[in-house]
Amino acid sequence: MAKAHQVTTEEIDVVDLLIAQHALIRDLFEEVKSTRGQVQEEAFHRLRRMLAVHETAEEEVVHPAARLVLAGGNDGLVSDRLAEENEAKKMLGELEGLRPGEPAFLELLDKLRIAVLLHARSEERYEFMQLRQKAKPATLRSMAAAVKAAEAFAPTHPHAGVESATANLVAGPIAALVDRVKDAMRGTSGQVKDPRS
Amino acid sequence: MTFNPLAEKGIPLDRQIRNWRELDVTPVDPDDTDPYTKCRIITMNGIEVEAALFSHHFNRICTDREVKEQLARTRYIEQQQQKAVNWLLPGTASVLETTISYEQVAVDLTGWVARNEPDPYLRQAYEFGVLEDFDHLYRYANLYEMIEHRKAEKIVDQLTEVMPGRPTTVEHRDPVDNLRNPYDRSTTAPISKLHALTLVASEQQTMNFYMTTGNMYMEPIARQLYQEIGLIEEEHVTHYESLMDPGETWWERLVIHEYNECYLYYSFFQQESDPKVKTVWELHLNMELEHLRIAAELMRRHDRREPEEVVGRELPQALTFEPNKAFLRELLATQMDLTTLGAGYVREQHERFQRMQEQIHGGEKAPTERVIDMHREKFGEDYRIETEGKHPDPRLRQEAGTR
Repeated sequence: MAKAHQVTTEEIDVVDLLIAQHALIRDLFEEVKSTRGQVQEEAFHRLRRMLAVHETAEEEVVHPAARLVLAGGNDGLVSDRLAEENEAKKMLGELEGLRPGEPAFLELLDKLRIAVLLHARSEERYEFMQLRQKAKPATLRSMAAAVKAAEAFAPTHPHAGVESATANLVAGPIAALVDRVKDAMRGTSGQVKDPRS
Repeated sequence: MTFNPLAEKGIPLDRQIRNWRELDVTPVDPDDTDPYTKCRIITMNGIEVEAALFSHHFNRICTDREVKEQLARTRYIEQQQQKAVNWLLPGTASVLETTISYEQVAVDLTGWVARNEPDPYLRQAYEFGVLEDFDHLYRYANLYEMIEHRKAEKIVDQLTEVMPGRPTTVEHRDPVDNLRNPYDRSTTAPISKLHALTLVASEQQTMNFYMTTGNMYMEPIARQLYQEIGLIEEEHVTHYESLMDPGETWWERLVIHEYNECYLYYSFFQQESDPKVKTVWELHLNMELEHLRIAAELMRRHDRREPEEVVGRELPQALTFEPNKAFLRELLATQMDLTTLGAGYVREQHERFQRMQEQIHGGEKAPTERVIDMHREKFGEDYRIETEGKHPDPRLRQEAGTR
């Protein structure tokens, strides 16, 4: 199990946070693949929640910042990532229409797992490394705070059966969850903080 | 094994060239693959790289055009084989993820070879080296958790333990103390020659890998770690390489190379759990049989000797990837304090050793020490996979943490 360690928001590197989420998503996929029945369904709900939260955080904060700081308005790099995310969302939508445990579900899950892994690795190599180098430290810190706010909606230490309080969130529609995440990230102003400030 | 590669027929050389479609192999799954499948891939990549480099060296000193043409044809195929093998690894792995698999290879390949080496002097050389690779695995694993937020267990599974070996910081020796005595080619068992070549190829590829990719990290501690461990790999290549009889002719070395490739592809074909990878081992074995036939003919013609004199009449027992935990623990309990002096081993930190230590460390802690300190600071303790109990050396037991 991952151990929680206390770090203040000032210390935290947003790229570190995102990479840790990528690792967690990889683990969650393995969990869904290797379980069955009720346990598998519950693991799948945690996975889709994590994916939704993580991708929303990236769309709201990370990719806009990348567009601004990458050299020569290298929008193509970010567009490529968004295209990958759209593909993944489509696959996730299809998965939600299938019953966990049936062969079609597992096959599509595998496709999604690889697509998500490739996407994560591309982000790390092409986007995050540049962000770390080129964005101002203050920018990176506020991005970290926004991503952390989103994280509150996703499982960081998944334990089966511990989620009574958030049971409603588990099975709820992803769209509603995404809205809540966006609200949390935007704060009271309702605006995404300008990454340049 | 009753399989005699020298008596088998392979694919004719001119039918061995593959087109782009055929070379475009499907990589293994990044998450679901048996770690030992990845280890076999990494091993054969090292073997094929050595095949190409050896052939290039031979080409540089060969004055016979006909022979050079033969070498060039075979070398091109070895290069295609190298790509078909190495490209079985998926592009999703980070440099560090691949590095950890490389060190798992070093540990479990050297471990098995040591256990099966009949010559005591050669066996001691392998036992000496494996404790050092074992430590490298531990250092890289701690770096991995820190900067990639993932546990090395996801890569090595429970097959290989992860804990301190002979500390890398004391592995830095005077260069002359990495030269061992060579075996005698006329009295040494064929298996010993194959073992030495396999480990030279493996350490050479590891050395090359760190030389080339170690600068691809931005974190200072990562860059420094690769420089430090990269320098040890140079020591290991010298150490294993010096075991080979320098009196071996180019022809017999060519035969040993091709024979070893047959041996390893045959061994891995026997054990391979992944069906797609297994077909690659089978295809390549059938290619190597022809390379061996060509090498044997060259040896008969130019050396006026039969290849069986050098490599024997039948393959040794299959080289196998399997856990070596008990063997390693025995070494950890008894050989941690060894260093080298000349061609032999001692337990004292002699003057030449101390001088080197002073020069390389410059009064500071080595990166391999600092990476553990950093991990402890962040997580409360170092990262380990100790499946068989506490560390055999009481000095290296994990400090009480909050795990």
